Parts: sequence; structure tokens; C-alpha cells
Amino acid sequence: MAFAIELLNITKGFPGVIANNDVSVHIKEGEIHGLLGENGAGKSTIMNILYGMSKPDEGKICLFGQAVEFQSPMDAIRQGIGMVHQHFMLMPDETVLRNIILGWTPKKGICIDEKRAVAEINDIMEQYGLKVNLKAKINQISVGEKQRVEIIKALYRKVKILILDEPTAVLTPAETDSLLDIMRRLKEQGCTLIFITHKLREVMDVTDNVTVMRKGVVTGFGPTSEMDITKLSRLIVGKEVSTKIPMEKFHPGDKKVLEMKHVSTARRPGRMPLKDVSLVINEGEIVGVAGVDGNGQTDLGEVIAGLIPAESGAVFLDEKDVTRDSIRKRRKKGLSHVPEDRLKTGAARDCTISENLMLNMYNEKPYSNKSVMNQKEVLQTSEELCEKYLVKTPDSNYTIGTLSGGNMQKVVVAREFSSSPRLLIAAQPTRGVDIGATQYIRTKIAELRDSGKGILLISAELEEVMAMSDKIVVIYEGEIVAQFKRGEADEYEIGEYMLGSKRQEVLYGN
Amino acid sequence: METNIWRKRVNGAVRAISRQLCMLVVAIVIIMVFLAVSGYSPFTVLKGLGRAFSQDLSGTIRWSTPMILAGIAICIPFKAQVFNLGVDGQIYLGAIAATWVALALPENSPPAALILVFLAAAIAGAVFALIPAVLNVYCSTDIIVTTLLLNFVGQFLTEFMASEVMRDPEKLTQVNASKTLPQNLWLPKLSAFGNSSANVGIYIAVAVALLAAFLFFKTTHGYEIKVVGSNANFARYGGIRSSRVILKVMALSGAVSGIIGAIEVTATQHRLIASFNPGIGFDGIVVSLLANNNPLGVLISGFFFGGLSNGGNVMERVTDVPHIVTQIVMAIIILTISANITLKHLKRKKEAGSK
Ligand SMILES: Nc1ncnc2c1ncn2[C@@H]1O[C@H](COP(=O)(O)OP(=O)(O)OP(=O)(O)O)[C@@H](O)[C@H]1O
Ligand SMILES: [Mg+2]
Repeated sequence: MAFAIELLNITKGFPGVIANNDVSVHIKEGEIHGLLGENGAGKSTIMNILYGMSKPDEGKICLFGQAVEFQSPMDAIRQGIGMVHQHFMLMPDETVLRNIILGWTPKKGICIDEKRAVAEINDIMEQYGLKVNLKAKINQISVGEKQRVEIIKALYRKVKILILDEPTAVLTPAETDSLLDIMRRLKEQGCTLIFITHKLREVMDVTDNVTVMRKGVVTGFGPTSEMDITKLSRLIVGKEVSTKIPMEKFHPGDKKVLEMKHVSTARRPGRMPLKDVSLVINEGEIVGVAGVDGNGQTDLGEVIAGLIPAESGAVFLDEKDVTRDSIRKRRKKGLSHVPEDRLKTGAARDCTISENLMLNMYNEKPYSNKSVMNQKEVLQTSEELCEKYLVKTPDSNYTIGTLSGGNMQKVVVAREFSSSPRLLIAAQPTRGVDIGATQYIRTKIAELRDSGKGILLISAELEEVMAMSDKIVVIYEGEIVAQFKRGEADEYEIGEYMLGSKRQEVLYGN
Repeated sequence: METNIWRKRVNGAVRAISRQLCMLVVAIVIIMVFLAVSGYSPFTVLKGLGRAFSQDLSGTIRWSTPMILAGIAICIPFKAQVFNLGVDGQIYLGAIAATWVALALPENSPPAALILVFLAAAIAGAVFALIPAVLNVYCSTDIIVTTLLLNFVGQFLTEFMASEVMRDPEKLTQVNASKTLPQNLWLPKLSAFGNSSANVGIYIAVAVALLAAFLFFKTTHGYEIKVVGSNANFARYGGIRSSRVILKVMALSGAVSGIIGAIEVTATQHRLIASFNPGIGFDGIVVSLLANNNPLGVLISGFFFGGLSNGGNVMERVTDVPHIVTQIVMAIIILTISANITLKHLKRKKEAGSK
């Protein structure tokens, strides 16, 4: 069978690292090819090369048996290659429609033929069951929706080859399932797909062949039918990984670390506001929030952190009213927050790793004294944190933009976990993180809980919520509709509450 | 590790400078063609520039002073992604305040009173710069527009002051100017250059640049400025108040601009003249961009720009090229160099997009 894509002996270096070292990947026509590997293994790098976004130092690319050389993504797009990037490439102030048709605009004379574009896009949305509001601005829609926009954009360009760089990292299980369906449909239509993910079940589910990378080299490849999850994880990490999280028996303290009393938030474009939410988190307790993306999780995290005001109701931290406190004051009182969108709020791309790590402590001793920074302490602590949280980088003076997606997430986690919080809001803490580091982050969360902190875990992955939480609350359309203790309900029951088909009349515990 | 960053910084600087030199050569070639086509000797530009950096170094130093300071005034807010296009207006305000205080002081005050003069100028500049900053923070007006428009206010206010309020009644000349300052309040000249236009203002400029570098690289304020500039959402999430940072950088920028005004008055003009400022603030933008908004780099690019503008003056003086042609020559140089900066920015954007 012919190969659709051959990446031959690709080498690509960046200052301080070799991201791809003599990597060869062969992808058959009409297959779904899984590309796996730890954070920083070089997956995005080699896909960017295939998409013409960067040039390899050495090696060549063949498409359908012919050597090609791309000067820019435009060349790749013309050859029928589409890519959904790990960090979306959308213009934040433009509408969804404009973003989709950018660079591929139907024209009537010299004007944009919006009608035709809308009709075509509506067709695609219908055919594949993807729904987004074309008139909304990108900066108003959720991460899951941005993902859909990127996919529609690729489909709209009628791609023959589609690269999906960690598309499922930001999706809920149901959304993931429908994405996998779309992928199968595209495959039936003769499309060749490359699928990057850290979730092995998805790999086993849809792929035909896989290639595994580690530290810039290929460590294994072969048909998926010859693989299983243990074998794959051994190829990825190089050793067995346990998925058990060591956790002590649940015995919460009697102090309330967080209490929300009837909190509502204002309506914002593209956001689900909170309606009359009450919630208690005790010392030594993990409260998990289950819900379909876009049901008020964002507002929940942000209203506690102080990023948005509560319209009514009150928020208490350690039994003290903080409803009117500034963000800084709340942080000083022991609040930590891993935000759901690491690029928009969690990190400053042009700042160095060390500057990103210092956000919570730069104005404290020993990192600064009377406004003068102590560079030595800053660097030392940054290096320690990078090492402890497995951030792969030559040193912490590189800008955070040079890190791979998962490593960027680890920097955010390192900063927020290390400030010894009283309350930790962890929104999608393991988003885009490889299996080894996911395990590490979950273990850390468990450790924080065992040392008497309160944790609010917001995650699109129901599995994660169920495995970690002592108490699960289900959020639907901005309201808390159900509450369970660990083990009280199974996935299916929780799923029903998540979709709004059921709700508990009286919530206990409030 | 520490040495590592420094090596990186130095390497970057060297590469940037050598690229600029290439662009300068290109600019000079374009200018020579332009001069030849217009019927002047193409070598006048070389003569002018050559003298600016040799016999007439004092003139270059005189012009470097405001260039460096204007570069600093631009780069402080720029780091926080705040664009102060009103440096010129703030310079005028500084000059007015400096003249006012200097004339109000008793006749034979000691030179140390200059400190008061400079302080007044810095405060006036800062207050004037705070107007657009406050409007931006509390009413979300566009700071680019307001700073730009306030330049006219500054300029006309100076004209008004020089022609009406502070005009020297004893002089019956046509010039709109205030009384001359007492000699003991003149900023001293650099003795090494004899009776030239080079003055100790250059020391002030260097000191301000070093202070700005310290502020940027070594203090928590610098950290906040950088964080706000690179991602305002992130800054807010960390509890940094962007509005305070905006007020802070604008006040600092205005203060530095005010000092330019004070130096122009006390060292060069020795009185308030209606339009003494040839658009230094806008040159400051190029100076700052050229240095990638790094205060240490501004020292070099400011000196370089001082040389260029002095070179233009020299060219005018030693050849028969009229003033307007020198201005065109300057514009060509600025355009060529900023074209290079724009290209660099575009390239960087493209690379950033590829991650
Ligand atoms: N522009 C860049 N400058 C410097 N280093 C870079 C750059 N882009 C990537 N790297 C480095 O190359 C390596 C591979 O990065 P890449 O983004 O390909 O990883 P990845 O396999 O996609 O990881 P993840 O699963 O976390 O997304 C990393 O060590 C990263 O730090
Ligand atoms: Mg990646």
C-alpha cells in the first residue's frame, strides 16, 4: 500500500534542545495514525514541519511518493493538508465565520460572499454534528468551541490529510466520542489522519497504526492491533506506570476552607453565569465538579479567585468573608488557582519560565527585598521547581513560549501548588499532560489534601473527578443540581445529572 | 547560568547592531543617489556624518542627550505595552516649569538650585503625562490618541507662555522668548570640549538610562511592567493591578520627558523659546525600537541618533545643501532603519505563530 506521507530522517534543533533527532514516520493513505509520546517528545515539532510552519534542519518529506518542500503553511494547505493546533491559531477579535474562511474566501466580484460561505459551513456542521455560533467572537467562546472551530476550518478547506494535535485534551468525554466518530467518517471518505493524544484508550479506539516518540527519537511503531495499553505506556515512558493514586482515608477537618453562599454571577457573552450556587469545602477534602463544558465551571473558578465579581451572595475563605477582596488579598489569604486556559491567563508567553514561576512570590522575601529582586534566589527556586515538577527545559531562563504544551502546564501547576495554599482551585490541572506527569500531578493533589488543604477540582474528565474527589457536585446550566459522596453514584447516574435530565430536590450539606 | 544569560544578551545586541549598520549603509547609498539626482554632490552626506563623529563630536553629544532621554521616556511605558506618543508635549511642560522656577529663584542662588529646577520640570512632565493615563484607566480612552493630541496643547501652551506670560518685556526683538536665565543656573558645559554645545546633560542622560535599566531588570516594578506588557490577563490573575502599572510608567515617562525640557532650557537655550523642540519625542520612538526597548541599548542607539541629527546639521553648515534637503535625508535614514525594525517584527510574529 502506498504511503500518503513519509517523513524521512527529520532532524530539528532549537537552542539548547534537539526536538527531533533523525525521526522517520510513515503514514499510509486513508489511515488514522496515532502519534504518541511524553511532553516535549517532539510531536508538535514534527507536525509543524509537515505543515510547513517550520523547516527541518535535515531530512525530507514525501507526499504520495513525491518529495515536497514547503516554504509556508500556505504551500501545505494547497497540497490538501490541514492542521488543528494544540494551541489554537484563531484571531480573538474576529467572528467565528471570519476565522473559518480566512485565507479560503469565496468571492463575489471583490466582495466576500458570506452567504455562500455560511451555507457551506452550515452544511459541514450539520453533516458532522458540530455546532458553533458563527456570529460569536472567538474571545467569547469556550475552549471546546474553539476546538470545533478549528476542525470546521480544516473540513471547510476540504483537506486530504488532517493533523490533529491533542484535540481531545480540551474535550469532555461525550465531545471526544463525537470527535472520534468524525475522524472515522473522514477516514471512510478517504482522508488520512494523524492523531496526537496522551489518552491511550482513544488510541486503541480509533487508530490503525501508531508511532511512539521519546526525547526526540522514535522508540516504537506498528499496527494498533498488536498493541495494548500496558505495552504502549511502556513504550512512551520507558517503564511501567501505575495508575493508583496513594491517598489516605478521608477524614476532613471541621474548618470550612471555602464556603459559597447563594452566589450568582452576571451574564457575559459566551459564558454561562452561576445561579444561586452554595458550596462548602472542608479542610482535607477534595470537591470535584462534574459537568459538560460550558455549564458555569469557568465562572465558578473565577468568582472564587476574584477574577469576576459575585453579583449576589458571598464567598468565605477560611470562614472570613472575601467577597469584596481583591485578587491579591485572596491570594495572600491562601488561595491558589490553576486556570483552565493556560495561554490566556495561566502564563505570559514572552516572559521566561522563571518569571512565570515567580508570579505569587516576587514581592516576598527572599525573592525581593524592598522592591529589589534577588536574582540568585529567584533562579535557584525556579530551577528547583522545574526539576521537582518535571519541566523539561535546559534552564529556566528560556521564555515559556519555547516549552511544549504539557511542559507549560507543568509550570503553571508548579507555581500554584508550591505556594502552600489553603484552598486550591484546580481547573483542568492535567490538561495536555502526559501519563507520567498526570500521575505526578494527581499524587500532588492527593498530598495537598492529606496535609489538610481544601481542593476544588474542576475537570472535563469525569474519570478524573470520580477517582480524586471525596465529594462530587454536578453543575448544569450554572446551578449545582446534585451532590454525592465518593462512591455514591456511578458514571451513568452522574451523566444523567450532567445532561440535566435529573436533579436532586434537596441538596444536603448546605 | 548567570553568565549564560549575559552571553545571550550580548550576542543578541551585537547581532542587532551589525544588522543596523548594514541598514545604515543601505540608507546612505539611497541618500547618495537621491542627492546626485537632485543635483547635489552625493558625498556631502558622508562629509556631514564623518564630521559628526570626529571634529564635531561635541555637537553629537549635545544631541545624544535628548535622544537618549526620549528613548528612555518611550521605552518605559512601551515595556508595559503603553504607547506614550506625547513625549514632545511633556518636554514642553518640563521646559515651562524649569524656566518658571529658574526665573522665580533669587538672582544669585547657588548652582545647587538647579536641582529644584529639574525637580519642577520632572513633576510638570509627570503630571502632564498622568492626564492621558488617568483618562485611560478610568474612562478607557485610547492613550495613543490622547497623548498625541496633548502634544498640541503642550506646544501652544509654550507659545502662549513665551509670547505673553513670560515674555521678556525689556527685549523688543521679534523672538517670542522669556527672560534669559541667570548664568549661575545654566547647566555647565563639558570642559573637555572647550566652548562647545556639549554639556553635562549627557551625564544626566546616562544616569537616567542606567536607572531605567536597574528598574527593569532588578526591581519588582520592572517585573510587574514586563508581566503587564506581555499578558495583561495573566497579570490580573496574579493580582497585579494593571491600572497602577499604567499610571506608574506614564508618570515616569513624563518625568523623564520633563527632564529633557529642563536640559534644553538650562543648557542650550537659556530661556523659554516658543518652538525649541524639533520633534525629539518622535525620534525617541525610533531610538527605543532600535534598541528593542532595552534601556542599555537606548544608550547606544540614542548616541547614534544624536550623531545622525548632528550630521544633518553639519551637512547643512559645511555645504550648500538647503535645510529642507537635510530633513529629507534624515527621513530617509529613519525610514530605512524603521523598515528594518518592521521586518524584524513581522518575522518574529511569523516565528511565534509557528509554535
Ligand atoms: N520555538 C522553540 N524554541 C525552543 N525550543 C522549542 C521550541 N519549540 C519546541 N521546543 C522544544 O522542543 C521540544 C519538543 O517540543 P514539542 O512541542 O514538539 O513537544 P510535544 O511532543 O508536542 O509535547 P506536548 O505533548 O507537551 O505537546 C521541547 O523540549 C521544547 O521545549
Ligand atoms: Mg505538543
